[in-house]
Amino acid sequence: MRDWDELCCGVFDTIGPNLLGTLATKRIEPEYGSRVISAVDAYDRVICRFAWGAGSLSRLTRLGAGTSLPGLVIQRLSPGFVRRRARRFGDGITVVSGTNGKTTTAAMLATILGSTGHAVLANESGSNLFRGVATTLVSGPRHARAGVFEVDEGALARLVPSLQPCVLVLTNVLRDQLDRFGEPETVARLLGEAAGALPSGSAVVANADDPLLWHAVEDAKPIGFGVRVSDTVAAAPAGARMDAEPEVCPTCGGSLVYRRRTLAHLGSVHCHRCAWANPDPPTFLAEVGKPRGLDGMSISIAGIPCALRLGGIHNAYNAAAAVAAASSLGVPATDSVAALETFLPKFGRTERLPFDGRDLWLLLMKNPAGAGALVRQVVGSPRVQTVAILVNDRAADGRDISWIWDADFESLVGGMPIVAGGIRASDVAVRIKYAGGSVIAAESDPHRLLAAMTDVTVDGDGIAVLATYTAMLDFRQAVLGSRVARVEDLVALTS
Amino acid sequence: VSDLVIVHLYPRLLRTYGDRGNVLALKRRAEWRGFRVRVDEVSIGERLPRDAGLILLGGGTDRVQEIVGKDLAARRDELAEAAQGGTVVLGICGGYQFLGTRYVMPDGGEIDGLSLLDVETRATERRIIGRVRARGALWGEAFDLVGFENHGGRTTLGASVQPLASVSRRHGNNGRDGTEGAVRATVVGTYLHGPVLAVNPVLTDTLLARALFPLNGNEPLGALPDAEERLAHADAARRVREEHRAKKRSMLVAASLIALSLAFGGPRAAREIDDDDGGRGDRVAPAAVVERPLMIPYDLARTAEITGTSRSSAGPRR
Repeated sequence: MRDWDELCCGVFDTIGPNLLGTLATKRIEPEYGSRVISAVDAYDRVICRFAWGAGSLSRLTRLGAGTSLPGLVIQRLSPGFVRRRARRFGDGITVVSGTNGKTTTAAMLATILGSTGHAVLANESGSNLFRGVATTLVSGPRHARAGVFEVDEGALARLVPSLQPCVLVLTNVLRDQLDRFGEPETVARLLGEAAGALPSGSAVVANADDPLLWHAVEDAKPIGFGVRVSDTVAAAPAGARMDAEPEVCPTCGGSLVYRRRTLAHLGSVHCHRCAWANPDPPTFLAEVGKPRGLDGMSISIAGIPCALRLGGIHNAYNAAAAVAAASSLGVPATDSVAALETFLPKFGRTERLPFDGRDLWLLLMKNPAGAGALVRQVVGSPRVQTVAILVNDRAADGRDISWIWDADFESLVGGMPIVAGGIRASDVAVRIKYAGGSVIAAESDPHRLLAAMTDVTVDGDGIAVLATYTAMLDFRQAVLGSRVARVEDLVALTS
Repeated sequence: VSDLVIVHLYPRLLRTYGDRGNVLALKRRAEWRGFRVRVDEVSIGERLPRDAGLILLGGGTDRVQEIVGKDLAARRDELAEAAQGGTVVLGICGGYQFLGTRYVMPDGGEIDGLSLLDVETRATERRIIGRVRARGALWGEAFDLVGFENHGGRTTLGASVQPLASVSRRHGNNGRDGTEGAVRATVVGTYLHGPVLAVNPVLTDTLLARALFPLNGNEPLGALPDAEERLAHADAARRVREEHRAKKRSMLVAASLIALSLAFGGPRAAREIDDDDGGRGDRVAPAAVVERPLMIPYDLARTAEITGTSRSSAGPRR
């Protein structure tokens, strides 16, 4: 189904410039005076309707999700629309980028801004390329005055000049999608360039615990955020972690010494050769007591206690980032923290789905570091009795799945039963075998996987589902779909 | 006392593509057969153990390979001696390039390799990325290989090495001659990730048997129940076929679309619209985003700067 959407975009991309593009008035620029501006505005409105219609058609005919087609249409027919529309956000636009935590951080920030009375527009569907952001601008309410957009690292170079954000939030640089970006250093460089391309007066909010990222954006005078874990059991073990980036100084290549480490290569470090160090403590510090468990933790952000309704150290980072960004936009930290206490996780990020008497916890897994954080969270949670690992190898997941061998699945072995799923379920089974355990079921088909999971669990059990992006989509659809099917069965029985 | 010593060179630096999985595969498969295995992780400045049976060199990012290159240059004689003595040396991706005679940078500058394999690599801007299925042959064993490759360098084989495997034309060492990897005596190089030893147990066992030769002689290793491995191998092979078919289909669609659009509007209209996008190349076809984004060449280019091994007067680029 998603392939159809892509194909649709491809068709439009090829035909568009010729058939429809010739109809487009190209020489419209808003610098010509009010009459031209209103003409451009009217034109944009018409094209907006058309683009929106194209998206709805795509959804209605079930050919695609309609999350990128409208954006593509508007980009073709009204170039510069994103730039013109972005100027109407009087309360400023925030762009969130980085490897992990974009969606959750953006959602947290949108919640904070919403609770303080701003009319917020955000690309919550996670469609974070140029087209996706354009689609959000097309279909979103016109009265929105604050924008929060998560943007793919690769799309930053084009979106930052168009959106002219007043705050840029950079979460982290972890190893992810090597078949797209080549290497983490490339991503760090992209983020650094984006920070340099901001309009003057804009603020950069960056993860101070990430040496690679911090070094790349240091020149932009960023506002730092970070995390401290006081619970020594939960704190990452000292020494090298296999899911981390190599510990070399980003300045001189000497080896880095960690004073403390929270996740993967995140922590406070200094170089033993050139004495380069990241800030300790950063301006916005989240202090975590016991980060374990899935459905909540107590932390304090910038000294203000906060009862979050989701667990995990990675979410402490997201919360700190959101509070730091909100304060750059003028929201006091106390208000931000109060708003965060009402925040509930979004799609596939510690989402809880009841199914057949069981509790499914959906956890999006993108790379070794993220997987390691989730494993630690799952192992420490008394509410999880079984864990499922779903790995797909489509473009959105990363086609090279070698990374699963860098993820710390060893910690799962010997504890609870493990089920493997996704297109590469058999690779997960091999991975667990070499970790010293074995999976009790391996099923590529999401419906059969669901059946297998039901077989090996009992009523009231909690099942943690760690899945890559498209595996998560497929699985979620299977869960929701089979629930509908059950209702239909009942109707059929009673009539 | 151990029967087999596996040396993982620079485990914390060269590990971009799950190279730890390769070590784990070797270790487990030897242990399951009752051999005692020791894994030595050797990093910068640390000594190579004398009793190494198998040395593994993985791939890293450009920046890290710069750092490693310097240390590796100092180990040249030590590694050559080990290989001469029958130690199995396996280089993967960047590690494979290190094993060659030289690496030619885009500006023409050259970096000396370890010269354990008679191959040379030329850096290019266009990476070869994709799933691979190959027909492999090593020390009299023939087997199917699956994996994933992602490299900017084009490697050509000299007269004294054999390819590890044959692949379809667009893949492998250079995307031209249908070869993948290289072998000379006990030195093996390959571009395949997977990790290659985790999903290709026959290759793993072939390497293990050779590394255990001093202890085990020509005695074949016992068979293992490899149901999971065989299934994963078959699934990977199926994904190669599926991707191949999808590519064919989309090329057909693209060709017909181009023909259509030429018939309707002609190339002029297309150009005009392109220019209107602010000259930033606004045309982001879905395939382009995924397939060929902002890559930088996977090379050892700047190694020269640190090691000072550049032979050319052109000097390294910055």
